[in-house]
Amino acid sequence: MSVTDLLWRFPSVQMAWRNLGRNRVRTALAALGIVIGVIAISSLGIAGVALQQQATTDLGSLTNEVSVSSGTDSTTDGVTDDQVEEIRSLAGDAAVVPQKSNATTLSARDGEEVFVSVTALTQASALYTVSAGDSPDRLESGALLTNSTAGQLGIELGDPVEYDGRLYRVRGLIESSGGFGGGGSELVVPLSALSEQEHYDTVTVVAADGDEAQAIADRLEARFNEGDEEVLSVTSFASTQESIDSFLNTLNLALLGIGSISLVVASVAILNVMLMSTIERRGEIGVLRAVGIRRGEVLRMILAEAAFLGVVGGVVGAAASLGVGLVIFQVLSGDPLLVFGWPSVRYLLLGFGFAVVASLLSGIYPAWKAANDPPVEALRG
Amino acid sequence: MTVVELEDAVKRYRSGEQTIEALKGVDFAAERGEMVTVIGPSGSGKSTMLNLVGLLDTPTEGTVRVDGRDVTDFTEDELTEERRSGIGFVFQAFHLLPMLTATENVELPSMWDTSRDRRDRAVDLLRRVGLGDRLDHTPSQLSGGQQQRVAIARALINEPKVLLADEPTGNLDQDTGRTILDELTRLKEEEGIAIVAVTHDEQLLEYADRVVRLVDGVIQE
Repeated sequence: MSVTDLLWRFPSVQMAWRNLGRNRVRTALAALGIVIGVIAISSLGIAGVALQQQATTDLGSLTNEVSVSSGTDSTTDGVTDDQVEEIRSLAGDAAVVPQKSNATTLSARDGEEVFVSVTALTQASALYTVSAGDSPDRLESGALLTNSTAGQLGIELGDPVEYDGRLYRVRGLIESSGGFGGGGSELVVPLSALSEQEHYDTVTVVAADGDEAQAIADRLEARFNEGDEEVLSVTSFASTQESIDSFLNTLNLALLGIGSISLVVASVAILNVMLMSTIERRGEIGVLRAVGIRRGEVLRMILAEAAFLGVVGGVVGAAASLGVGLVIFQVLSGDPLLVFGWPSVRYLLLGFGFAVVASLLSGIYPAWKAANDPPVEALRG
Repeated sequence: MTVVELEDAVKRYRSGEQTIEALKGVDFAAERGEMVTVIGPSGSGKSTMLNLVGLLDTPTEGTVRVDGRDVTDFTEDELTEERRSGIGFVFQAFHLLPMLTATENVELPSMWDTSRDRRDRAVDLLRRVGLGDRLDHTPSQLSGGQQQRVAIARALINEPKVLLADEPTGNLDQDTGRTILDELTRLKEEEGIAIVAVTHDEQLLEYADRVVRLVDGVIQE
């Protein structure tokens, strides 16, 4: 069964199909313009989605944390116990983990030395996940060490490490975390290890999610810092992610804008092609009108031609964009199949929809003009 | 029985500053089963008259009737319906659509009536004009005479009451022209269709039941 037989029930579409087949090169070039427009819109959109997903992954779990340290207008060299209590009361259900920090050099038996940052805290479980051993709710004795550092020093679970003249048994190995400030070598000890330091360097508040973290950060700002004064420096990664998201959204819109320019150009090309072909076929359209084909039928026939260009260009363009998307996701995140997620597929549909709508819009004027040409005038050609 | 009728039809064209009067009060009628040939020098208003009779154009003054109904003030859409149901056209240059087969060209006027069994009827008409073996040929694969016979079959698909032919033999040699005229005569006799032909061709006069001579927009009997 040929395409024409299949389209028998849709005479406008059938005629459109035949008309487009008459000048295949012109049809192909007009559709190619649409293909390029769709690729521009869809693949730029998908690139934006890939960037956004990658940024979210990189920021990881940090987005639900608020970090508090002493600000430039503080009278003390750290966060005081009283302030910690106030933070606790403002944080609600969120875990509040005050920390003191320092740095030291750990040496192995074979003389290998590693520079590590030292963090002293109690509620280790709120901040650290371990790959071996445990991450206690109350760290009273023993220590946690980053996995990679332990490997470098040949330290295993249960071995002692020395800090400030005291020995701590390693009871947990910390996974190296990604994100801000992570990835370095870290030794986690009980607060008692840094007891000579009066104030806390940092207080980390771990909220349920980014929104709650932002709300807590706002409350802390309001309570501790009046006007331009900065008693406590409050950093929320939620706001960081928000600004990155908003930047990426802006970038995405800009990319889509650039992409849609090419689709506008393509639809102007279609307008031109449709106008040319209806002018060339003026006599033929006059014959159609003379033998009793209604104006609406001529209109539908020519709109069907434009829609055909849009659908074919849209399908080919979406398929090509899918290919481009696979490459983009492969490069940015290593998982090409992420392109089949809704955020990316949405842009494929958007590109396709734009193509069809732009083509139809371009077809309206030539179709209207052809349909309303007086038959007598049209017959003269 | 009168199928189409012009009464005191005047047609004026505006051409720049000038107004050209192509028809100056023409009375014309075609009856069922007769072939009327309209002759006259070029510029005499033959084509204008045929356009009025074929409802492709409306007169500036006067009346147009189809089956006794006044259609002078019909809208373009109403005129289209009249053409679709009652009038067949045959042109000098055949005017077949090049991308369609002979059968599809014949189907064309009823293409948008999907309910009708148009394919069978188109094939039947092509067989009747002697093109049963050329059904799937495109116009470029057909001779001039064959193309004109396809055009005649196309004009008949909607069972018209009147068939209008503008120089039907103009692009054909004498022998081929004769077969076309024989075809039209057969239609006239078998189907009782009124045929109005506009021509320069002397040959057509032999076939005409009646000749109307048009000079400077006026009919001279």
